[in-house]
Amino acid sequence: MPKLTVDGVEVEVPVGSTVLQACEAAGREIPIFCFHPRLNIAGSCRMCLVEMEKSPKPVASCAMPAADGMVIKTDTPLVHKARRGVLEFLLINHPLDCPICDQGGECDLQDITLFYGPDQSRYTENKRPVVDKYLGPLVSTHMTRCIHCTRCIRFLDEVAGVEELGAVQRGEHMEITNWIEASLTSELQGNIIDLCPVGALNSKPYEYKARTWELRKTESIDVSDAVGSNIRVDARGNEVMRIVPRLHEGINEEWLSDKGRFLYDGLKKRRLDRPMVRRDGQLQPADWRIALDAAAARLKGTAPERIGFVIGDLVDAETMVLVRELAARIGTPNVDCRQDGSRLGYGPRASWLFNSTIEGIERADAFLLVGTNPRHEAAVLNARIRKRSRQIPMPVGRIGAAGIDLTYEVQDLGAGVQTLSDLLAGGIGFAKELRAAQNPMVILGSGATARADGLAVLDLAMRVADEFGAISEGWNGFNVLHHAASRVAGLDLGLVPGQGGGLDVAGMLAGGVDVLFLIGADELDLSGLSPDVHVIYQGHHGDRSAPRADVILPGAAWTEKHGTYVNTEGRPQRAKLAVMPPGEAREDWKILRALSDVLGVTVKLDTLGAVRARLAELAPFLATPDVIVPAAWERAAGPGDLGFDRAPFVSPITEYYQTNAIARASGVMAECTKLRLAEHSIKATGTHG
Amino acid sequence: MLKWLSFNALGTWLTTRFRGELVGQDELGNRYYRNKAVKGLNAADWRAERRWVVYPDGVEPEPTLVPPGWSGWLHKRFEHPPTVAPLQVKPWEKPALPNLTGTPYAYVPPGSERGRGQRDRATGDYEAWTP
Repeated sequence: MPKLTVDGVEVEVPVGSTVLQACEAAGREIPIFCFHPRLNIAGSCRMCLVEMEKSPKPVASCAMPAADGMVIKTDTPLVHKARRGVLEFLLINHPLDCPICDQGGECDLQDITLFYGPDQSRYTENKRPVVDKYLGPLVSTHMTRCIHCTRCIRFLDEVAGVEELGAVQRGEHMEITNWIEASLTSELQGNIIDLCPVGALNSKPYEYKARTWELRKTESIDVSDAVGSNIRVDARGNEVMRIVPRLHEGINEEWLSDKGRFLYDGLKKRRLDRPMVRRDGQLQPADWRIALDAAAARLKGTAPERIGFVIGDLVDAETMVLVRELAARIGTPNVDCRQDGSRLGYGPRASWLFNSTIEGIERADAFLLVGTNPRHEAAVLNARIRKRSRQIPMPVGRIGAAGIDLTYEVQDLGAGVQTLSDLLAGGIGFAKELRAAQNPMVILGSGATARADGLAVLDLAMRVADEFGAISEGWNGFNVLHHAASRVAGLDLGLVPGQGGGLDVAGMLAGGVDVLFLIGADELDLSGLSPDVHVIYQGHHGDRSAPRADVILPGAAWTEKHGTYVNTEGRPQRAKLAVMPPGEAREDWKILRALSDVLGVTVKLDTLGAVRARLAELAPFLATPDVIVPAAWERAAGPGDLGFDRAPFVSPITEYYQTNAIARASGVMAECTKLRLAEHSIKATGTHG
Repeated sequence: MLKWLSFNALGTWLTTRFRGELVGQDELGNRYYRNKAVKGLNAADWRAERRWVVYPDGVEPEPTLVPPGWSGWLHKRFEHPPTVAPLQVKPWEKPALPNLTGTPYAYVPPGSERGRGQRDRATGDYEAWTP
């Protein structure tokens, strides 16, 4: 542990630290542009110059390793002069368009110039012209503003794993560019907007829409996947203007997937803003009283076992509490929160959690991916695996979902169940690598469990985890990766058809019910549903299910209500209300509460606090936000001989940008999809064969 | 005389009667005056002289009805009244409009209910789904 003196304060920093980190440990803030703690060191901006004793020149503190006995000074005339000089050089070519620049107000260059910069310009020549680059529909460029910190290049190379940006020329003529003009292909490309210290890279959908200081900022949770990335929803008036990530070391570090960042314009389209009731074969606007009466009349007039509840992917835990209570009061066993047909939810809690936790990925040293494509199912989590694979040489085996570039090296072991049982028997070379690992990790995706033999595959995977030492003291390497934000909360609340003969989603759709109550469930194929089935749809978007509905109860999207979401690790987190629901839409739990009154089976939960207290009663491990209660490892009793399906595992996500109702309504996501499809068609009909 | 008083402008009437020199009259009946040339009172410079308008009897005084040429003379942008030096009108100039407040042609901000009844896009707007 080197000990050094910073401005007279002695600090001790871990081996491998830089002088910059030592200064920060001593409570000194050093201005930086190119340095980023999660990226490699570039040392190109020279903003972090500090004075070091016995050094003839100021040193770049971000690139200088801290050594024993160094004496650093950060507040001397030499340092101030160096900073002013660096800023003067940077400002030579930086345009003075701060008043119209989207970065204005949150710009590092603006702030640092204010504190350390020269007070006037001595430069009278023309500024350097640079052609703006096309980087796709998400990132806009104003390359004259670029100060060549190369953070965007380093991020895409190191974290996102796509080598699509680079620099050409040198010195003043250096330009950040892509080799071939095309949109970036990473699912994490939006992060270069946050990384850019100036306004060179900006959010294209947000461009010139608002100023940063007029936005109302609300802390929330991303629901576009089951990772539960921490986000901040920036709203102006009653409109979500943009979404940016928040720091959470345990989940998303400081990254956010593009879907979570850019789907918000879907919140303004295809909204269900008033109740509707089908009359004469047409859905017609109605008021709440009429819609609730219509729904209640149907529910009352139907035998309880002919009523089914299906819960969608974006539903908060509070609403699910109400669903559970309501279904129990009505007396129907047909409740299912797994609209993709997954078989999880029976047996111990450890069988549906990401037990190692996302942070635990950085302790793992071998991976087995079963039926999952983490790049599309959980882009931020995939970046963690890539981060780990860059730290140590690490074997990654994959069964099913082959042929997808995960941005790190993957061995394709096989396609389906057969490979998994071969692996268990030790018949595959990869078994040796897995056995040699200290902390092996098995990641089971919903591609493997959302099928008829899902329980058998789950049991097999858990046996694999046991067999290869993934379960040991202080390490649980058995992980289930969900892709629906609501799924873990639903399973924790037991919203699966019980052993008492309830119907699952497939059973309900096959004619098992007369009244189908869909709560935000849009990933269902309702085309085969009998026309006699009465469909009640509660949700926020007129997506796939709403046109088939007979009664529509407009609910709130996740930015429009206080909700608890449980991520794939089993970590409950609270999303706060950022804007009000449109029109007559209401918070979902309140709708169900009102419906229970009309049905005459009142659920006595009148406040959000009461609902949350009930949630804590039903699932005590969800009581404290942001605390993971680890699930005890226990292998469920084998499901008996169910017989395996020989079909290969496939990832449930075929189109990354279109996985939920909000994303499907979003114009930005549609454009991304179109571009991706265009790329695919070029590949299919290309000139290479 | 009584009408003048009713407009609470006795001073103006007296000034006009004793000091005023009629310069001209426009098509609306507004009459324009300036100080009579009185030795020692009038400054040498025309910019220093007093100029005023008397609106026709029985009409609500409306300054925006003063035509541009006369308005310019009153405000001493021109030395000579339009009767002497007619106003040069550029081909791209629009005719002057009187104050339209209170008339159906009055300006209404976009989005106002008194306007065309439909407003422009604003923050918080959304597209509702229709079946």
